[in-house]
Amino acid sequence: MRAPLIFLILILLVVLALVGYNSGWFGSAATGPSPTTAGDILPGAPVGPGAEPDEPVGDGGLEQLPDEAEAQGPVDPVNTPDVPAAGTFGHFPAGELLPKSGSGYLDRTTWSPQLCFPFAEDAFANSQVYGAGGGMGPKDKPSQCDASNYSLPWRDNFCESRGHASPLCANGKGHQGQDIRPATCKKDKHWVVAAEDGIITDMGTYTVTLTASAPPHRVYRYLHMRMNQLEVKEGASVKAGENLGKASNDFGGTPTTIHMHFEIRSGVAGTSTDGKPVKLHTFLPPYQSLVAAYDRKRAGQGCP
Amino acid sequence: MRNPKIRGLIVAGATLAAVAASAQVAPTPTPSTRPGAARPAVVRPTVGPITRPPLPGGPGGIDWAGAVGGLRQSGGGNSPVGRRLDPAAVDKTRLPILLPADPDLMGGARIYSFGDYYSITANLTGARVSLTGAAETTPLPATSRLTLLNIGPEQLVIQRTVDGQLASFVRYGVLYTAELRCDAPSDPRCRTDTYVRSLVAKSTVVVMGKAARQAAGLGA
Repeated sequence: MRAPLIFLILILLVVLALVGYNSGWFGSAATGPSPTTAGDILPGAPVGPGAEPDEPVGDGGLEQLPDEAEAQGPVDPVNTPDVPAAGTFGHFPAGELLPKSGSGYLDRTTWSPQLCFPFAEDAFANSQVYGAGGGMGPKDKPSQCDASNYSLPWRDNFCESRGHASPLCANGKGHQGQDIRPATCKKDKHWVVAAEDGIITDMGTYTVTLTASAPPHRVYRYLHMRMNQLEVKEGASVKAGENLGKASNDFGGTPTTIHMHFEIRSGVAGTSTDGKPVKLHTFLPPYQSLVAAYDRKRAGQGCP
Repeated sequence: MRNPKIRGLIVAGATLAAVAASAQVAPTPTPSTRPGAARPAVVRPTVGPITRPPLPGGPGGIDWAGAVGGLRQSGGGNSPVGRRLDPAAVDKTRLPILLPADPDLMGGARIYSFGDYYSITANLTGARVSLTGAAETTPLPATSRLTLLNIGPEQLVIQRTVDGQLASFVRYGVLYTAELRCDAPSDPRCRTDTYVRSLVAKSTVVVMGKAARQAAGLGA
């Protein structure tokens, strides 16, 4: 009778070990889908902690005033959509935010189907707040030039926890665009380009607004370029792929991390959570459009 | 294996091990597919459907009678507000252009017209204002819901942005926006919606160029 008992105990131990591994009891649990080429570093991006001395980041990377800062969002590790997204490079699916950074928007609509990838070179979409060197980033990775910020996989950060309005996000607030780091951790070096044919309709102290010529006249907003070295002025007509300026960290006098905050806005017609039909001009998730655009760029397709 | 109890335990153990092994398989990773390749049709009740690129709504639905009423109330086009806007761009715009009754603000404003959409930019000290009008809206997927705490009259929605306040509302069947952007993030005008609400409240001046007048049946 002893042999079956020992066998049963062994089976139970194996089951416990497997469940424990999967649940992260041993500290190395999978926190989401493993992207195709996780950990790859693109050619031309040999960056790391020593790439450039970090500047102090005035706002902690939050892009909002401290008293407006949104508390860390609900832990949402179960939002791990496993519908595959098209792609030939390592990237997490749309809506798959960094753990403990909020709840992503899970719909997979490509809102700007012909988007021209807004960097002339390779670039890395990820969170500049919750990533290394960000205001809410890992304490053991204090440098914004950390290699993890400049390597695949890409990561969506639309709807990431912020205090700004973003009606498509679960609680009506969240990050209104996608953070994209340039090819290397060097400011004022990498070109940012027009996402569509259009007109530069506004320029602020750290924002450039491009309104697309073609319906539905999407509005693209680029934040944190080097504003005193722009290639365009308000009123300029631009073609998709045309240089606008260089990625930097301008943020109204106080630097942020080196990245470009990229927004897509448009007039939309939808339904509110209480069932009312409503039309409004609001923020659309850029990630899926960026993935498709980057695929086209990597395939050597020019901008339309 | 002659003992049926032992055999039963072995079968049960194997089943448990198989279940545990399947439980540790990570979710499907992002596949390497070529652009344009067909995506696997995976249906998940908790995830919104894969949707096609949205088709924009048609430009119809403009309430021209209402817009003409607004035009008349605001002086029949003789209001000083908007007189300094580029007349060619105004004439090209097939929408009622809506302006705030604020000649100082509008004095140096610039208009960029795409026919069925326009964008006007004006400067304030330390800030800028943008006004847009759009005939078309893009339908959201049926599975998406907009979390809006407060929808005002004319579908007024105000959103806090990184650098200011964005208001949108529907009048005459047109989706209008009024946006304030501040040079300094701490500018009090951008921290509350007071200024942008006042901008919406005084947006009463209707201007129509040739294309809009024709569309409204007023002739050019």
